[in-house]
Amino acid sequence: MNFVALKMLVGDRAKYLGIIMGLTFASLLITQQAAIFVGLMGRTYGAISDMGLPDIWVMDSKVQFIDDIKPLQDTMLYRVRGVEGVQWAVPLYKGLLKARLDNGTFQTCNVMGLDDVTLVGGPPEMVTGKLEDLRRADSVIVDELGAAGKLAHTGANGKPVPLKIGDTLELNDHRATVVGLCKVSRTFQSQPVVYTTYGRATLFAPRERKLLSFVLAKGEPGLDPKEICRRIEAATAGADGSPRLAAYTQQGFIDKTWWYFFENTGIPINFAISVALGFVVGTAIAGQTFYSFTLENLKQFGALKAMGTPNGTLLRMILLQAMIVGVVGYGLGMGLACLSGWGARNSELAFVLPWQLMIGVGLAITLICFLSSLLSIWKVMKLEPAIVFKG
Amino acid sequence: MTLDDQSLRTGDIAVRCRGITKSYGMGDARVPALRGIDLDVKRGELLMLVGPSGCGKTTLISVVAGILDQDQGECLVMGCNFKQMSQSDKTRFRGQTIGFVFQSFNLLPTLTAAENVAVPLFINGIRRSRALRQAKEMLAEVGLGDRSRSLPNQLSGGQQQRVAIARALVHDPKLIVCDEPTSALDHETGHRVMETLQRVGVGNERALVIVTHDNRIFQFADRIAKMDDGRVIGMADSAEALHHETINASALAGAERMEDGGLRIEA
Repeated sequence: MNFVALKMLVGDRAKYLGIIMGLTFASLLITQQAAIFVGLMGRTYGAISDMGLPDIWVMDSKVQFIDDIKPLQDTMLYRVRGVEGVQWAVPLYKGLLKARLDNGTFQTCNVMGLDDVTLVGGPPEMVTGKLEDLRRADSVIVDELGAAGKLAHTGANGKPVPLKIGDTLELNDHRATVVGLCKVSRTFQSQPVVYTTYGRATLFAPRERKLLSFVLAKGEPGLDPKEICRRIEAATAGADGSPRLAAYTQQGFIDKTWWYFFENTGIPINFAISVALGFVVGTAIAGQTFYSFTLENLKQFGALKAMGTPNGTLLRMILLQAMIVGVVGYGLGMGLACLSGWGARNSELAFVLPWQLMIGVGLAITLICFLSSLLSIWKVMKLEPAIVFKG
Repeated sequence: MTLDDQSLRTGDIAVRCRGITKSYGMGDARVPALRGIDLDVKRGELLMLVGPSGCGKTTLISVVAGILDQDQGECLVMGCNFKQMSQSDKTRFRGQTIGFVFQSFNLLPTLTAAENVAVPLFINGIRRSRALRQAKEMLAEVGLGDRSRSLPNQLSGGQQQRVAIARALVHDPKLIVCDEPTSALDHETGHRVMETLQRVGVGNERALVIVTHDNRIFQFADRIAKMDDGRVIGMADSAEALHHETINASALAGAERMEDGGLRIEA
């Protein structure tokens, strides 16, 4: 009878396409909004995940997320280095500085000041130039998207000309020369990222008593980084035992940042509303069309019942129909979402589609199909086969 | 002697109804549809149920076909008592033993003629290729061998009803119930459909019960049972019915009124 169910479904083109459209729309909307949410949330910790070498981040105990900078005294670096189990520790400056563009406007940049000696914390991938070039005078490395976008020069024809090696920038009234371009994860606020040395970054930055943003550390091999974090916190605590520094593993700091944005911004609720809307609208369209499809075929279902089709078989037929439209709708919606994500890969759009999300959307579409078919199932199960003898 | 014993003894009886009552609604809104029906249909017989609208014909064939439960009385089809069957057994029994022809054909609009005819075989678990082969053979028997790939909306009313007849016969049921098979057709088409039904339907000890208003097809009946107000009020053979155009009260002279108000007519 599966064959009959299939032909009943696809034979009514208008209804079939209507149900598919509803599910495709739901799948597309849920996938796209959830993928943008994942992408956007991923940008909140891009600066942390981009750093492969250090596995411990040390900061002021009041810091809540990566951009919540509470500078430390330089002496804290030495105290961390002195903790048992710490293999090495380097300073990191992270701050927002203004770059003056050649057209006179200002662009805020995310400046990362790396340890002058080791350059630990550099960009994950160089496009042109070398990281070591940062040792040259006034040198900076700029992320390629920022160089081609917000930091680009204005050409003679008025069109933006991307920054290239040898071009100069003015950072907080200090001259900086581009010695390389790199690839980085996009930041949450989509600001250009500029890498330089720690010493130079503190020159670029406005004069403050404390300028050390983070201490990046590496634990001794074989030691649990979490244990080292506990040791750092204990070793740097105040005389009364109150914590002065907080230390997190890289994943711990990623989680802390992610949860900060999740709990303290409107991002989740806004995207949740969009996803819920996709779910509700998809269920409404698919459910209404599926039910009307069943109603139109009610006499046929009655005839099948009268002719000896058991309820179980009819139930399987309806579920098969629901499953088919679900798979097609999910596939189309997911495909369209991937296409839109691929199309916007070079734009500001944050679109990340992990496999877990694909499964999640699949489950949501399954639920929509199940809910949509419930009314139909109920109607057919309750159907008196004697209906076929009523004219 | 119980009904089962009786049916075993009278092996020529396809359908035996005794004291069938059925009401719709409850309390003050209760409407009796059948008021004690006694009826026998023999194997190989074409019996027509006639009578005015609302007299209980459709209710009676619904009970006989096992798609409606009677309130009282017993109905045996091919010796099997519906009252002693579970719903799932009844459903299986219908699928194997009974063929249906409906007034509005009830063909699945998205299936071809052959696929529609094959539906009872699909229900009985026959493989698709074999079912379609059998269905095409049956379509050829009803004169539609060349229309097996046509969809119902590409067929005339008469052709659709012949497809429905092929569907009712394809699994070789022992009983066929037809509800107004010619009412949606013009006289000539209705006549041809009845000829087909009589030619391929009767035989192989198969019984046919046809509900109809159409006195133009009475000639095809072996016997005609007239119903009124939930009772069988008369039984006649087709020649007699033709003679009177319709069965009238004079045909009921032999009817024996029963205590509960029903009529018992000896076939």
